[in-house]
Amino acid sequence: MNVWELIILQPVLNVLVVLSHYLGGSFGLAIIALTIIINLLLLQLTLSQLRSTKAMQALQPRLLELQQKYGKDKQKLAQEQMRLYKESGVKPAGCAITMLIQMPIWYAVYQAVILALAVAPEALLSLSRYLYNWPQVFSVLPLNQHFLWMNLAQSDFVLAALVGVTMWLQQKMSTMPSTDPKQQQQAQMMLWMMPMIFVFLSLSFPSGLALYWVASNIVRIAMQYRVTGWGGLKLGRAKQEADKGKKYLAFGSKEEKAADITAGSSEPQKEGTVIYPEKPDKNRYQPGRDRLRHKKK
Amino acid sequence: MLLKRGKWYIGLLVVMLTAIVVTVSGCISGLQAIGWSGGTVAGGTLYVGSAEGRLVVVNLANEGRRWSEAIRSSQPGGLGCVPTTCGTGTAGVAIYGSPAVAGDLVYIGGYNGKVYAFTSDNLSTRWVYPREGYLQPIVGGVVVGGGRAYFGDSDGRVYALDAATGDKQSEFKTNDKIWGTPTFAGDTLFIGSFDKKLYALNTGDLSLKWSFPTEGAIITQPLVSDGIVYFGSFDRNFYAVNATDGSLKWQFAGGNWFWAEPVLYGDTVYAACLDGKVYVLKSSTGEKLAEFDLGSPVSSSPVVVNDSIIFASRKGVIYAIDTGRRLLTQLADIGAEVNGPLCASGDIVYLHTPNLTLHQVNAATGALLRSILLKST
Repeated sequence: MNVWELIILQPVLNVLVVLSHYLGGSFGLAIIALTIIINLLLLQLTLSQLRSTKAMQALQPRLLELQQKYGKDKQKLAQEQMRLYKESGVKPAGCAITMLIQMPIWYAVYQAVILALAVAPEALLSLSRYLYNWPQVFSVLPLNQHFLWMNLAQSDFVLAALVGVTMWLQQKMSTMPSTDPKQQQQAQMMLWMMPMIFVFLSLSFPSGLALYWVASNIVRIAMQYRVTGWGGLKLGRAKQEADKGKKYLAFGSKEEKAADITAGSSEPQKEGTVIYPEKPDKNRYQPGRDRLRHKKK
Repeated sequence: MLLKRGKWYIGLLVVMLTAIVVTVSGCISGLQAIGWSGGTVAGGTLYVGSAEGRLVVVNLANEGRRWSEAIRSSQPGGLGCVPTTCGTGTAGVAIYGSPAVAGDLVYIGGYNGKVYAFTSDNLSTRWVYPREGYLQPIVGGVVVGGGRAYFGDSDGRVYALDAATGDKQSEFKTNDKIWGTPTFAGDTLFIGSFDKKLYALNTGDLSLKWSFPTEGAIITQPLVSDGIVYFGSFDRNFYAVNATDGSLKWQFAGGNWFWAEPVLYGDTVYAACLDGKVYVLKSSTGEKLAEFDLGSPVSSSPVVVNDSIIFASRKGVIYAIDTGRRLLTQLADIGAEVNGPLCASGDIVYLHTPNLTLHQVNAATGALLRSILLKST
């Protein structure tokens, strides 16, 4: 047995088996209980990570400004960014360190679930070498693989769908709108990609693992709610509500030309999907004002 | 432009990730059923189920090999990856039980939930049970006695089939999976279940004679001798119970699960355990006479050669216990994992390993002989 197995995997596996023993031999309940216990143990770390992420997201517009201002001078940019982090009390490395601590534990839980399920006879045979010499451990094995309507050793479509939905919700809550279109696009991609991948994985792996993912996602949704409220989920809905009142005008139409005059812009608009606010945005290009500025320069 | 490029990247990412998922899901450690069929020697011929899902017949005189058609699974693995693909590079069904040879037929049970009877001369399929559909995976072996073939499946059912035709005669349901091989003894069939009980069934109609409860699942194939049934359990105990009424005669506590079939030699029982030890017990009382540490778990059933009991640890180290002097000797190290039962012909011990190889060890000298490749050509 290597160091990883001895220090991390073996304890997690045995706790999982003992939990099954005390939860009436239900492996499904044991997975849920272990997920909650580990999340409670990592609560402080997770909360600080979520807060750091939130703070980082809040700094994005200012970071973008710095990028635009000092983009060519990398050294100055780095200095300014550090100053900004310091002033705001944000530690960018904090998120990464927290992740580094959490990752091995989550990986051990994943391995323990797979091992304990002992899907193939070879796995059951291998399981014996990880067991502690506790009577509760030996009496409950092999574990009862039936939980609710599922056989935890086989994939389950409903649970796979639940993995996708809960993961999307959790990601949506944690994703704040970014001022950088590139970042926004990446965030959008991740928002859909990760749940899709995990749905695929859930359909390929035993549903015991999917149960662990669903339980983890639900716990994280609760934690995310504690830190950011509904976060990106609420913002997304608010944006939809706001968009309801907006009118989309075709380029060249009478209404569009009239609106163009109202908005005070002479910039040609792209065809189709242009939104005109009732009042002109201060940052928008305003020919009269901006031309004068350019001349002064 | 950015959006278009983004879509292209997303498409590529989806393809790459899907490929990774397919690979990982189909080939992850612990999810693959590879099989560990032991060999059965009959009339100078060795029969073994290979990891390719084939019955392989080896002529022990000239090492000539013949293969049956590969048995197939109804259920592919994760996203199309076939369960036994990993490690073997083939698409066969895992075979765990050693073949049973009776008359001109050879019987094997597949992890796909079917039992096959092959003719021993040309390896054609005489019958398959069930003809339509599949049972739950069959991990234990098939035993033949009194014109019937008996086996258990992962649904916890024990089946009795007509050995000649494959027609079902009777069945008995236990409360959990059966992964062990039954033992046929006179008019009684003994079989262990994951429901922690050892069952004694009438061979005629598979009606229950008695059951013996333990605190753990039972995979060991029971050993029956002189009216006593010897078997080990996952509760770490080794039991001796009376074959007639299932009353406990004695029990012995080991350090881990008992998986391998025990061996009785004279008045001594040799019980290998997954704690890496072989316990030498007095068959009448269960008194421990000696114990030998083999260094790694022992899951393969031993074999008797001359006056020695030959054991293999999972790490592939072969040992001989001299029954007279109660002395342990290391014979050889084959350097491959051994999970399945050992078999012997004369002084030669045969070990089937997951890498499609049949190893030969001379039990008298400890010499490693040329191994026989079971991969079909």
